[in-house]
Parts: sequence; C-alpha cells; structure tokens
Amino acid sequence: MGSLKSKNDIKLLADRKDEYLRFEGNERLTWCSGCGNFGIQKALERALVLEGFKTPDVLLCFDIGCNGNGSDKIAGTGGITFHGLHGRVISAAAGAALANPRIKVVASAGDGATFSEGPGHLLHAVRSNYPMLFILHNNENFALTTGQASATTRKGFPMNGSPDGVVLDPINACDFVLGLKPSFVARSFSGDVNHMTDILRSALRHNGFAFVEMLQLCPTYNRATSYEWLSQRVQYLKTTPKTIEAARKAAADMEEKINVGILYQNVESPNFLERLPNRKGVKTALVDEVKAYDIKKLTSQFE
Amino acid sequence: MDRTVLKIAGESGMGLLSVGKVVAKILKDMGFYVHTDREFPSLIKGGYSNMQIDFGLKPIRSLSLHANLVIALDREGLVQYVDTVAEGGVIVHGYERHEKIAGLQEKAKQRKVTLLYLPAHSIAHSLGGGDLMVNMVLLGLLWRVMGFPLKPLEDAVREQFAKKPALLEIDLKCVRAGNEAKGLGKIPEYKIQLPKSKPKEILIDGNMGIALGAIKAGVRAYYAYPMSPASSILTHLANFSHDTGMLIKQAEDEITAAQMALGSMFMGTRSFTATSGGGFDLMTETVSVAGIMENPLVIVLAQRPGPGTGLPTWTAQGDLKMAIHSSHGEFTKIVLAASDPLSAYELIQHAFNLAEQFQTPVILLTEKAVGEAQMMVDLDKAKKIPIERGLVTSKKELAALKSSDRFKITENGISKRWLPGSSATGYYGNGDEHREDGTLTEEGPEIAAIMAKRWRKLKTIQKALPDPVVYGPKKADISFVGWGSSKNAVLDAMEVLADRKVKVNYLHYEVLWPLRDEAFKKFAKENPNFHIIEGNLQGQLADILEGRTGLKFKGRLLKFDGRPFFRRDVTDYIGKILNF
Repeated sequence: MGSLKSKNDIKLLADRKDEYLRFEGNERLTWCSGCGNFGIQKALERALVLEGFKTPDVLLCFDIGCNGNGSDKIAGTGGITFHGLHGRVISAAAGAALANPRIKVVASAGDGATFSEGPGHLLHAVRSNYPMLFILHNNENFALTTGQASATTRKGFPMNGSPDGVVLDPINACDFVLGLKPSFVARSFSGDVNHMTDILRSALRHNGFAFVEMLQLCPTYNRATSYEWLSQRVQYLKTTPKTIEAARKAAADMEEKINVGILYQNVESPNFLERLPNRKGVKTALVDEVKAYDIKKLTSQFE
Repeated sequence: MDRTVLKIAGESGMGLLSVGKVVAKILKDMGFYVHTDREFPSLIKGGYSNMQIDFGLKPIRSLSLHANLVIALDREGLVQYVDTVAEGGVIVHGYERHEKIAGLQEKAKQRKVTLLYLPAHSIAHSLGGGDLMVNMVLLGLLWRVMGFPLKPLEDAVREQFAKKPALLEIDLKCVRAGNEAKGLGKIPEYKIQLPKSKPKEILIDGNMGIALGAIKAGVRAYYAYPMSPASSILTHLANFSHDTGMLIKQAEDEITAAQMALGSMFMGTRSFTATSGGGFDLMTETVSVAGIMENPLVIVLAQRPGPGTGLPTWTAQGDLKMAIHSSHGEFTKIVLAASDPLSAYELIQHAFNLAEQFQTPVILLTEKAVGEAQMMVDLDKAKKIPIERGLVTSKKELAALKSSDRFKITENGISKRWLPGSSATGYYGNGDEHREDGTLTEEGPEIAAIMAKRWRKLKTIQKALPDPVVYGPKKADISFVGWGSSKNAVLDAMEVLADRKVKVNYLHYEVLWPLRDEAFKKFAKENPNFHIIEGNLQGQLADILEGRTGLKFKGRLLKFDGRPFFRRDVTDYIGKILNF
C-alpha cells in the first residue's frame, strides 16, 4: 500500500480541519456499503484541503451515475457544485474552467459516461488541454442502472443485459488517453485513500488537463475485480515514465500487474487559454470582462 | 421604378460572390440602398447559384422575385435564370454556344429580354486571366449597360483584390475590356436614377448583427460547431477576436458547444452558441438541464428547411414549434425571433439580459434569409440596451446569503443567483430535482413546490416583455400577423400598395414565447380581415394563436419551398383576397 501522510501533512489537515469539515458537507451519503466512492470522495476532500483550497475556490462538477449522487454531499455549505447531464460533464466543466481559471474545476464521471455516452468530449479535452482535473470513476459497469456492461467491463463476465457474458474486449482507459498526447495521466485505486490523495494533489497542481483513473470497487455489481482481486495486483510505480511510449507500456497490463501512480506528465504543454494568440498577456478572466463594448471600431469597415 | 434588381448567376465556384461583393459595395458607396442575398446549393463547386442585389433610392427590406439585370457567368446562369428576368431586362453573358440552347432566343424575345453576348472567355484568356476572370469582363459590360462611370468600379476592384497584386492588373484589364468592347451591336441603355445623397446605414448580414450585438452585450466566450446558416457567426466573431479578446472555440460537436456555453455561464461570464435545426436537436438536452438548474443559456437557432439535412443553404421559418416545445420536462423558456440585422443586433443583447435575469434558456430564432442576407442598417438607431445581469453583487448581500436563497420558492419564480467564488455561501447546481439549496429531493411536496416555482417565471416574463408591434395604419383593408423575415416582405408590399390606396397593416411578433395574445386579440378585433404570413407548411404561429384565443385567421399565406417571401408573394396574395 502507498504510504503518504508525512507528519507535516497530518498537522496541515489538523490546522485546516474547519475547512476540511466544510468540504465534507452535511448530507447523508447514499452509496452501497463498500462502494469505492467513499474513499475517492475522502481523498478528494483531503487533497483539496492539503493543497490549500477553500470551498469557494473550487467548482466540483459531476456526471450522472453513482459518483454523481454524491454531488450534493460535498462542499456545499461553502462551495458550489454542478451536477449536469450524463456523459457531458467534461464539456460543461471545461466551459466553467475557461471562464474563470482562478477557481479550480474538478470534474468526475464514471466509465459509462466517459467511454460510452461521451468519449468525444474526453478526446477533445485531452487535445485542448483545458485547465482542469478530471477523475474517471472506473467501476467497470453501469452501477446506478443496476449493473449493465460498460466499455471497461471485463470480457466474459455476465452482466445485467449480457447474461451470456460480455463478448467485447474492454478499453484500457489510461492507454486510450495516452494515445492522445496528454499532459497528465495517472491511475490509482479506490481501496487506498492515501495513494489517491497523493495522486490527486499532483493532479490539482498540474497546469492543463489532468486525467486520473480511479480503479473503483463496486461490491454490488462488479464481481470481476473485487477488493482482494485488485489489491493483489496493484503495483506502485516508483518513478514516472519519461515518454508516452514508456507510459503506455506501464499502463498496458490490467490483468496481472496493474501499475498505479503518475503514468505520464508533460509540464511544458501550455493549457488551452495559454495557447490562444488573442489572449496573450491578458491578466483578467472572462468572468471579469462582462461589460458593454464599443463596436464603433468594428463597424467602420462596413460604412 | 423604385428599385433595380441585379442577379449574378452561374455555377458555384465561378466567382459570383466576389463580383457580388464588389458591386454591392460600389452601389452602397454611390448612395443606393442595397439588399443582397445568395441562393446557392450546398456544394463548394458546381450546381447553379446566384447572388441577388436589389438596390434603389429607398430602404429595401426584402428581395424581388424578378431580376432586371443578370450577369450569367456560364451556360447554367443563362439557362436557369432566363425565366426570372423581368420584362425589358438585360442578360449579359459569355457563353459562346448560346445559339445552340433550344428555345433561349424565343424565351428572351417573348419577355422582351435582351441577350447581350460578349466572348468573355477568350477576352479573359487573351489578357492573361483564366475562366475565373470572365466575371470581371462581364461586369465591365454590365457597367456600360447601367450607364455608370467606370472609375468607382475600378477603385472597388482595386480594394477587393488589393491582397492579390499579380491578379489585380489582369482583373482591371478585364473590366476595361468588357466596358469598352466593340462590335456588340446596339447596347440597350438601362436608365437608373442616381442617388443625390448617401444614406448613413451600414451594409451587414444578420449574422454580423448577432456578432456585433453579442460583443456589445459583453459576451466573452463563443462556442460553436459549424452548420449553415449559422456558421458565419463563428467566422465573424473569430475575425474580430483580436480586437475583442473574446475566447473562440470551435467545439467537437453541438452538444459540446451547448455544454461549454452552459458551463461558462454557470461560472459567470457571458457566452453562447449558434446552430441550425439538426444541431439544435442535439442541444435540447442541455436546454432542459439549464431549465432545471435555473442556469442562463443563450442559443441562436438559425433556421433552414428540414426535416433531416433538408436544404442546408436555403431558408425557412419551420422551427418555431420546435423551439417553443424543445426539450423534455416542463419548464419556462424564452423564444425570440429576429427579422433583419438590426433586430438580430438588438435581440441578442436582450437575450443575455433575459437569460441572466430570469435564469432560464433563451432561444433566438433567425433564418438563412436573415443571417446571410445583407441589409442596410443604422446601428445608431438601435435601442439602447444596458447590461442587466440580475446577480447578487453587493458585499453585504453576498455575506448574508443562505444556501437556500439560490432556489428559494418565490412568488414570481425568481430566486437569487450568485457566482462561484463570490460568496462564502455555496449551493448545489443540481440537474436532479432539488430543494431550495440544491440538495436532491424525491419528496412529493418539495418536488411540486419547485416545479411550480420554475413555471411561475412564465407569467413574470410574460409581464416583463413588450407587446408585439403594429406596423401600418391602425385599421386596414387586409391585415397580417407574422414573425421573423415575413415582416420585411409585408412592409415592402405595404409601401407599394399604399400608392394604390390599399391599406395594409401588420402585427409583428419578436417575442414568441411566452406569447402575449392580448395584443393579437385587440388587433384582430380592430382588423377583422386578418391573415397569417409564415415561412412554414403548417402556419405554426397561427396554430398557436388560434389554439390560445379561439380566433380563426381568415387565411394563411404560407411558403415552404426554401425561398424567402418576396414582395410579390404578398402583393399577389392581397390581390387575390381583395380582388384587384
């Protein structure tokens, strides 16, 4: 298991416990017993507090699915969350992130949303390098609709709607993203809050589109990759692969030795806003710029 | 004659647009009122198309059915458009084998149309130009027919092709060669009365109106996926982006464009997207989620004929019912419709104020005949529309907020809205049904209360928005009700018929939802001979108004062939109804 929690971090969390409690929210959680979402939510709250964010500094965006059902159970006393449509959270979150980069935008979605309903959004978000963090909750099935197969369900396992077993090979999420020249790709495991916290902290610090896959337990519907199955196979990467090729090699195995950790990072890649020639040197955010503009200069050409 | 109608016709890709642009610019500079539009197939090359320019001494709102002057750039231009020339008109062309076209000469003779042939291809080639310069030769000739001085034409060609100096000299030679060509026999002189002054108006298309209005309204992000006839809004805003600093993102699809606009508005800037019917279909789920989240959203729906891919490059008013009834679930939305570049400029500004103040989606309808048609407008005459956002911004009020203020159940349906990062009080922006603070609920009474609250906005908005406007006399021999570009043809017809002592008036709807029907009832009472004019098959607004008021239109002037209403459509209809 990954070990983090330096004494310094423990002290930081203690010092910031009020903020931590605000991130926790007051609502009763509704996930199944043993659901990976408990750990992921905990790790996200810790990572945000340890990185110095206060609730009004972040916008937490959620897709539809089990993780989205936590959208009103985090940060709400002081922060704002956004719980939109199925498969579309990346685009809505990107629009928000571009409008005000001073607010940290974190989007969460499941494997159904990300690889069935809206993979186009992921593809172009990676390519556009929007300044935001995206957390893939990969529990390898459509859990909220009672356990249908997703694009990451293991081949051969019977699921709701596929009683003979899934006949297709699963998508390897990190490998897919690594094929798109990303700037940050990481994988972690919902059974290890400390490791997830660590990974999310790095991802929160990344300038650009940070993709984090959480191998998420689903004790109710995913019998293929249980806690025991995953914890026997998870391997902690000691160093971050230097090239995309090496990262793809490290990401490839999802059966025997499953690598978790930061698989790839390119700190040189400018984020989308930094790529825009007409926004060079602009210090304000789009949210600061809503005012009446004089169009005289623009219309003179039509006189 | 109050106006002259010039058509430049030929296959797509033959350079008719560049000629059209030059001509429209010179005519405007000469002091004429100008109105242009293109009819073209959804092809980059091939297929016949034309650019029509109506010009005259008075404002021109709609196009005419028949042309007086035609430049036919090729065989297609000649064959397809000979029937559209008004009696006494002139076609200049360069098609060598014109005598072989069966029936052409007879048709022309019958309609008293002069066919003026010049070997434009060999002239263009002999001067070092290619087939694409045939247009310049013929333009030179047309100039002579119109009796206009050559210099302004040369100046305009210089300006248009300034970036291509090598070709410019050849272009100018071609223009002169056409203008001075000998051996053409008797050249008809087409007398056009010249303007004595120059109008103040600028010549822009409706999509430019949208772009300029959006800039004026403080829009800072534009997301779009290209789709005719909305595409040039992207072009215009992108071309302005170095002056404005606006963020422009061509999204990977319409769903993304709508979602990014939604997200940017949620965070607190002003942002929008534009599309046509098919793209709007993809956006409707976003419209719905904006409704439940009470998030502002502005979408321009530039209509073209459907269903399916339909007719990408033609015009229609066929998506009114679709816009009003779009998206699943019951919630309040606002639907506006522009009729020309000026109203497009105004309405896009209104759209943002309405979306933000009432926290709900606004759909702004345009048409190909509005978005891509160029008309003369005076933006100084536009209504002054200050930015109104309806946000909580005072420090004191921000500090006193409770989470439950965000979706508070109120009498008028409007609750407080504040932006991420602006207050220590948060809320849940929830697309699932929720309580006043946004927390999820599945409790019956709570659901019913918030559903009803959102629906109460409809009455609030209805009260806040202006009545439809009556044009023309208070009482008339025949009356019309309509929306969108229909207005333009009716107003043009009204002018012509006033000269003939026929009284016409017109009730124009700019706000289509929530609909104000009291004004309609009053109008119908004062004008019992009331008819609908709509560019769709059913008479969609007529259906809605009849259903709401129980009144019956005396007749429906409908057009659904991809063409806009011409002035002639209206005068013919009135002639039929009033028997003259």
